[in-house]
This record gives sequence, C-alpha cells and structure tokens, in this order.
Amino acid sequence: MSMSEHYNSEVWTEKYRPKKFNEVVGQEEILKRVKALVNSFNIPHLLFAGPAGTGKSTLALIVVKELFGVSWRDNYLELNASDERGIDVVRQKVKDFARTRALGDVPFKVIFLDEADALTREAQQALRRTMENYTSTCRFILSCNYSSKILDPIQSRTVVFRFQLLEKKDIKRRIDLISEMEGLTISADAFDALYEASEGDCRRAINLLQATASISPNVTPDLINTIVSKARPRDVRVVLDYALSGDFISSKEKLLDIMLKDSISGSDIIKAIQKEIWNLNIDNTLKVKLTEKTGEIEFRLVEGSDEFIQLESLIAGFVLAGEGKILDDGEVRSIGGAKVSGGY
Amino acid sequence: MISENIPWSEKYRPKNFAEIKGQDAAVSKVKLFLHAFPKKKSIIFHGTPGVGKTTLAYATALEKDAEILELNASDFRDKKKISEIIGPAISQKSLFKSNKIILVDEVDGISARRDRGGLSELVGLIEKSAYPIIITANDIWDKKFSILRKKAEIVALKDIDYRTVVSVLQDIAKKEAMIISVDVLTSIAVRTKGDLRAALNDLQMYSKLESIDAFGDMGERNREQTIFQALQYVFKNSKIDQSMIKVYDEVNMSVDQIFLWIEENIPLEYKGEELAKAYDALSMADVFRGRIYRKQHWRFMIYQYFLLGSGIAAAKNGVKGGFTSYKKPSRILKIWLNNQRTAKKKSICQKYSKLCHISLKQAMRDFMLIKIILNNSKIREELKLNDDEITYLDK
Repeated sequence: MSMSEHYNSEVWTEKYRPKKFNEVVGQEEILKRVKALVNSFNIPHLLFAGPAGTGKSTLALIVVKELFGVSWRDNYLELNASDERGIDVVRQKVKDFARTRALGDVPFKVIFLDEADALTREAQQALRRTMENYTSTCRFILSCNYSSKILDPIQSRTVVFRFQLLEKKDIKRRIDLISEMEGLTISADAFDALYEASEGDCRRAINLLQATASISPNVTPDLINTIVSKARPRDVRVVLDYALSGDFISSKEKLLDIMLKDSISGSDIIKAIQKEIWNLNIDNTLKVKLTEKTGEIEFRLVEGSDEFIQLESLIAGFVLAGEGKILDDGEVRSIGGAKVSGGY
Repeated sequence: MISENIPWSEKYRPKNFAEIKGQDAAVSKVKLFLHAFPKKKSIIFHGTPGVGKTTLAYATALEKDAEILELNASDFRDKKKISEIIGPAISQKSLFKSNKIILVDEVDGISARRDRGGLSELVGLIEKSAYPIIITANDIWDKKFSILRKKAEIVALKDIDYRTVVSVLQDIAKKEAMIISVDVLTSIAVRTKGDLRAALNDLQMYSKLESIDAFGDMGERNREQTIFQALQYVFKNSKIDQSMIKVYDEVNMSVDQIFLWIEENIPLEYKGEELAKAYDALSMADVFRGRIYRKQHWRFMIYQYFLLGSGIAAAKNGVKGGFTSYKKPSRILKIWLNNQRTAKKKSICQKYSKLCHISLKQAMRDFMLIKIILNNSKIREELKLNDDEITYLDK
C-alpha cells in the first residue's frame, strides 16, 4: 500500500487522507501554486476558504509534511476556533508553541487555525496582532467556509485560496480507490446515491461508505439510503404534527428532546421548521401566515434571551393553525410587538 | 454541643490528598507542581464554587507540612497593604513550621480598576517569594488575569460528578447515623449541580428536619407560596389593572426563574387561542429581557414585567375558576440530566475529532454516522475508548 509510511488509522477519512500533493483530487490550480510556495521553503500566511470536505485540512497537513519531513509533528500546531474557549486561550497556546525555535532547516513553525470564521470580530482583531507578533517564527494557515467572514486586515495579510466543491468525477476517483483497497463492490447506482447524500463533501462521502461497508461489502443504493436515514437527525416534522393535532404538551416535549439529544440549536430548528411548512397538509393561506409567524419568531430569537420560549410561542401558533385559525396580524401585534422589527 | 453547629462542609472537609474525591487529575497536577518547585512559584486552582479549591489548598499545605498564610481579595485594596502583610512573610521563617504556603483566596474579587496595583503587586510577589503561592479563582480566563496566568501553573477543578457527590453524601449520612434513601441523596446531588459544599449544606439541613415532606423544598417553600399567589392572580383574574405590573414584586425569585414558572404553567390554564396569546406575550417579554441583558437598557424592565403580568393575564377570554396546582419548572433539570447522559457522547467525540482533524462541534453533529463507524473494535482501540464509552456506544 502506497500510504503505509508509518502508522495507519482504521478510520478511512484518515487512512485514505492524501499525504502527498499528487494524491489530492481536484483543486488543480490551488495545488500548483501551493506546491510552488512550499518548494521555495518559505510560505506566507495562507487562508484556505471553501465548503466542508474539499481538502483544506488535508492540504495544510501536506504543506507541513513537505516542509518539515519526519519532524512535522514538532513544528505544527492545529487549533479549532470553534472549540477553543475564547481568543485568550488561542493566544496562550500560540505563545507556548511559538516560544521554542523551529527544528530543522525551515526557520518557522506552522499553526493551522481551522474554522477561523467562528471567531468574533474582536477575536479576529486580537488574532491579527498575534499573527504580527510571531511573524518571524510562525506562519499561520487559516481555514474558513466563507472568506467574507474574515476581517479585511487579516485577508490582506494572507494569500487567499478559494476551494471549490469537488466534482462528481473527483469524488468517484477517491471512492473507487478506497473500494478497491477495501475489497468492496459498488455499483454505479450506489455511487450516485452516495454522491447525492454527500452533497459534494468528500469527508461525508467516505464516512457514508465506511458506515455502509460495516454492514456489507456489497454496497447497494438501498443500503446507502438505509444508513443515510439512520444518520439523519430526528425530524422536526413530528413536533409540528403534534402541534397541528392540538397536542401542545407532546409537541413541546418532543421539541426539547430533539434539541437536547441531537445537540441542535434553536436557530437550526427554526430553519428546519420554515422548510417543513410547505410540506404540511394545511390550507395554503395558513402556510403563508405560519411562515410569516416563523419569520417573526426567528427575529425574536435573535433579539431575545431564551430560544426555547420563542420556539414554544411558535408551536402555540401551530396549535391554532391546526384548529383552522391563527391570530391575524392585528391581534398578534396588539400584544406589544408592534415595533418589534423596528428595534434595530 | 458546639460541634453540632459546625457546618458539615467544614467538619468533613478532606484533610489530605487521599481524602479528596472527584478531583484526581487536579491532585496529580499539584503533586507535579510541588515536585518541580520553584520552577514555577505559583499555582492557580480554578473552578465553580464548592468543587474544592480551598480544600485542595489546605491539603497541599499538609502535604508539604507547611503553615498557611491566607489572604482574601479584600486585602488587595492597595499596594501598600499587601506588601505590609506579605512582604515580611515571604522572607521570615515560620514560628512553628519550617515551610510556608501563601494562599490568595477568591482572586476574582480583585477589580482591575478599583484595586489598581493589587494585581501587579501580586505578580511582583510571586517573583520574589521563596514559598509557593496558591491562588484560587472562579474564572481565571478573565482578561484582567492575563499576566497572572503567565506566572502560574493553572489547574482546573471540574464540577464534581453527581455520582461522586452521592457517594460522599452516603458516607457522611452513615457517620451521622442518618437514615436517608439513595433517591433523596441523588436529588440533592442533582439539584446542587456539582457543588459539593451546597450538597453538604442541604444534607445537614435535612438532618434537622422531622419529615421528608418538609424537606421537599427547604427554604424554597416560602418562595413557592409567593409565586403560586402571583400566578393565580395573573391566570385567574378577569380584570386587568395597573397593580398587575407589581404582581411579581412580592415574589422572592430572580426574573429568570419567574419566566420558567410562567412558561411551565401556561398550558395548565390556557388552551388554543389563549395559549397562543399567552406565549406571544411571554415571547415578547423575553425579547425585552434580551435587550436588557445585551444593552443594559434597564428602562425595558417596565415592558418585561408588564408583559409577564398584564400581557399573560389579557390572553384569557373570561374568568377562570377553580384551583390549579401549579408545577415547578422542569426544563432546567431536564437539560442538566441530558448533559450528564451525553457526557460520554462528548468524550467520544472529543477523541474522534482529534484523530480526524475536525471540530468537536462537527463531530457532535455527525455523531449518528460516526457511531456506526465506531462499531469496529480496531477503531475503538485506536481511539482508546474506555469501558464506559464503549457501553454508551453499544447501548
């Protein structure tokens, strides 16, 4: 096996993570430019922007392995902005890491800060100063989904690479390789189902393949669909169905249950509800009213302090809709909400 | 007689490292610190109240056979005072013991602005001191401590697991010859949320009560009566008047708690249109609460209380008769219990996210899929999952 340099993981996203430039699929332009930078043994700060599962972390890892060879672990720090408790923690870790000099020929170390767009504006300001303070000893590779969420002063200090969603043929190359190595058979239909469910996210595609293969090495569309439905978060539909049937208590209990067990935030729930309204078996004019109410509650959720109270208020509106009526605009607003949207 | 009035949290305070429960990781960090001293002069214990920060400090002193010199935040009002107290101590020999440990308790209380100089004085002392300095704090990640953090070893004390709390309570109940069911002990442990001191206080109070009924809510009973009355007034009264804005004045609870009580009990009184109107009022009250928190716009409290009183009252279509037995809010407890149950999920996701270069949050979101992949003994071994985690996956 080509990738058995040292220790190999049994988790396929790791086992088959490309370890050299020539193993990467897609992103040809980016590869060319990054390779040129690495060959000069000096890189600027980099910003990798793009959707999940398109190779940002993979490329960052390849960069450090190419730069530092076997000693890459000593010269590389990986942090995830969405998990760290505030910028102070990030700074402390960066500081501890940057204190010692890089080993080997390369005069700097590399810090990979994943999901940098999770940092607030203030935190990004602080990050900018940190990047400047350690610029002689450290290079930063930042990754994010949307570069628009990264402050301009940071963008201007980095070289920005925009990762595209992988094409179907690129994901197919990867899946075919893994299937061959693991002795799986996967039909064209099955691959189509897998690609559909992955939404172009290569990590998700590989995870789905491994989960499916854990049941049978003969991967069929049915099997993939079974896994997909098993792995889907619990549905908000049942919350709405209880409400429309007039059972407020069951509806709110189910709601709390979903939020807690699947670790879903109120704002994600309300997005799912908004999408589900048009699938409900109710009059179209009611759907319009309910969507309007959902919009109002989504706004209040941002302004208010308790997400659950806001959602309860929304499902109480669905209970009314189930009785064939819903508060008309005048009445909803008469309870003091007249200028809600004027708050900003 | 006197001994009966000692708080049990004092009476049963662990004396040495071996007696400290539920903080194994912290204890071993302290041992390393003592061993390496004076590589770092100072060590910070941080964690929520009642998890054992001060206890650990005293146990550390015992371990070193040292005398403790304790300082409170209030001693740090100014530079002069602090040098007067500590200055001589860091050079003098102790009268009785050869070793000394300086304990600066509850350092959160030092204000960065008001007690100007206090924090920098402390930092200066750390550099000069010949003895270890232990600092305790609730939140050490506050900005004002950034310099202090660099000078000290940082040890986090976790909230104590409720099962550990139950076993400690059981031990003490036995020593006090109390007869008490595990259910009651568990409910004490759950309610006190990892604060062992609060749990011991509750247990001691319980020991003084005649019957379990009276225990139900200790101290909360009074408060419950006042909220019952307020809820009754709002839910049953047909006429809405100006005095409704004051209906919660007599209630001896925080406004957050009042929100929870109303939220829990609306469905007991209202149905259909009334229900929707009442939750709409509650939702608007919450919007004002959010604005008060975020913008410190205290004037909005008028609208918040107006909506909680008249807003909820105006939702009804007519007079409500009869007696309603209002329920205690249950949501917070449900959230807490869920966090206990999902602690294993979180620790599994932590290990997985490290291996796979993704965030913990992402792993939590993808858990249903990851769970299937983890149904593989080699991967479980690779992630070093412990027995508890494996049981959680297989259940």
